[in-house]
Amino acid sequence: MDERRLKESFARAAAYGDQVPLFFYSHLFLDHPETRAMFPVSMANQRDKLLNALGRVIADVSNHDALVPFLQGLGRDHRKFGTLAAHYPAVGASLLATLAHFNGTEWNDDLARDWTEAYTTIAQVMTEAATADEAANPASWAATVVGHERRTMDIAVLRVLPDAPFRYTPGQSVAVECGARPRLWRYYSMANAPRHDGTIDFHIRIIDGGTVSSALARNVSIGSRLRLGAPLGTLTLDTRSRRDIVLAAGSTGLAPLKAIIEHAAGLGDPPRVHLVFGVRTAAELYDLADLEKMAAQWPWLTVTPAVSAEPEYRGDTGTVADVIGRRIPLAGQDAYICGSPAMVTATADRLHLLGMAPDHIHVEDFGWSES
Amino acid sequence: MTLAHSEMPTPERVRSAAFTPTRLGRRGIDEAEVRAFCEWVADGLGMLLNDNNMLQAEIMRLRDRLLDGNKGRTGIQPEDAHVQAVQVLSQAQQTADRYVADAQEYSRELAEEARLRRDEILNEAKVRASMILEDAHTTATKAANAARDTPEPLSAAERQDLQAEIAYLRTFSDVCRTHLRAYLESLTRSIDEWENAEHNGTLTARHPQPPHPPQPHPASQPTEHV
Repeated sequence: MDERRLKESFARAAAYGDQVPLFFYSHLFLDHPETRAMFPVSMANQRDKLLNALGRVIADVSNHDALVPFLQGLGRDHRKFGTLAAHYPAVGASLLATLAHFNGTEWNDDLARDWTEAYTTIAQVMTEAATADEAANPASWAATVVGHERRTMDIAVLRVLPDAPFRYTPGQSVAVECGARPRLWRYYSMANAPRHDGTIDFHIRIIDGGTVSSALARNVSIGSRLRLGAPLGTLTLDTRSRRDIVLAAGSTGLAPLKAIIEHAAGLGDPPRVHLVFGVRTAAELYDLADLEKMAAQWPWLTVTPAVSAEPEYRGDTGTVADVIGRRIPLAGQDAYICGSPAMVTATADRLHLLGMAPDHIHVEDFGWSES
Repeated sequence: MTLAHSEMPTPERVRSAAFTPTRLGRRGIDEAEVRAFCEWVADGLGMLLNDNNMLQAEIMRLRDRLLDGNKGRTGIQPEDAHVQAVQVLSQAQQTADRYVADAQEYSRELAEEARLRRDEILNEAKVRASMILEDAHTTATKAANAARDTPEPLSAAERQDLQAEIAYLRTFSDVCRTHLRAYLESLTRSIDEWENAEHNGTLTARHPQPPHPPQPHPASQPTEHV
């Protein structure tokens, strides 16, 4: 397999941008109409995802240490879409046809051989990871909604009970699909440490025009069925660290941090934890009652709401970063931040500026659904 | 927003572009304008890519025909037909994508507008509430001052009257507060109902009616709040 030739032929096709995945999917759906049902109606996001994933695979094609874990993750992740080993050859054939089409006269038998070889390897790593995962986990977890509370105009708290045991580490998130929006998966963080009764809370913020968030907050009710993918994400409590902890939450970015607090509570000797819960107006402090209950119960926990867009608010005003800067001495602390991408960046920058070591700052904007 | 220049711009990438807010103290640019511009670019780019794709297909078709012509073949070849079928399906998919994106955009605009209106209504109510409270306080202060400034020592009956008056005004201010709170709550409820109605598709000609602002009459008996 000639790596340079492979990259060149991919670059030639990739220059056509969106047309490449468009052609690929149309080709696949024509040859294997049954695969169409695995995708949402609108394919626009899907095409971007495919092109990005392919670009990453080709860029790392000789860097096996990076590529193999990426492909294994991809293989496991595709199980929830209903992908079977039998689908891989069909995808390979359409991929080759697409590359041949966009390479035009530059396409030849050598290239076809290179690509067949590369794809066979990719498919093998993905299917092997998926097969290994099958022994331990279902493809997805069906779950029933057992609680649905609309806390504010824009925020709902959902409690679900998976049919089969769903194991995760507090702070992780999961892809969620609801019946009203089939084939659209959005990531949400579990808002609690695993409970004995197996229930899981999700904090749903309605995004203007968001398809999934609005369905989860409005269309879903007690008894509704959802599907969950496998848990993932790395914003989890570093239990080996002996340092005290600052938690910075922007709106529903609170969810994974609340789970981390519960995780800390389960430790024999919990660190001191200071949570700053940032919102625009005091009316959006959707989970304050529960947080205050936790703070009353656990002396090592302090909760400070930060309100940024309501000057007459009587408590701390300003962004999460402002309030942390004013109230918390940061030396020798760990920080965990979750919220909108803009909030996460601003807060991490500020903590760094205030002298916190970058490797003590744990960040996640993955669980932040924008639709 | 960060851009990797190796990446080809796609209409979706333009449409979903997120820009970092400007730092404090600097002036940003109108977000709606940026959004509208991105929409316009995304539409244009989509059309250009579409054209490009069709032209590319045409070139390939003509070239194939030319090459095939040399071999003496005629008529539409099966591979050719397959590529054309792919193009047709691609165009149908793009149309579907466009419809979904438009519907999503429309719902985003509606929700945004509703949110702005809600904030306006709540702010207005808040301002009105503080005005009524202030009035009540002013009246109470005036009454208290009048009582203090009376040169003649007050008779027991007058003192009692004034104290009753002050107590009444305090109660009145409490009533105002309670009414206003109820008013704000009912406003929120009516917005909720409005939203639910809209969501259930039952909103026909009915428009949300904000509840009447409270007009506690001084003659009413506020005993229950004392």
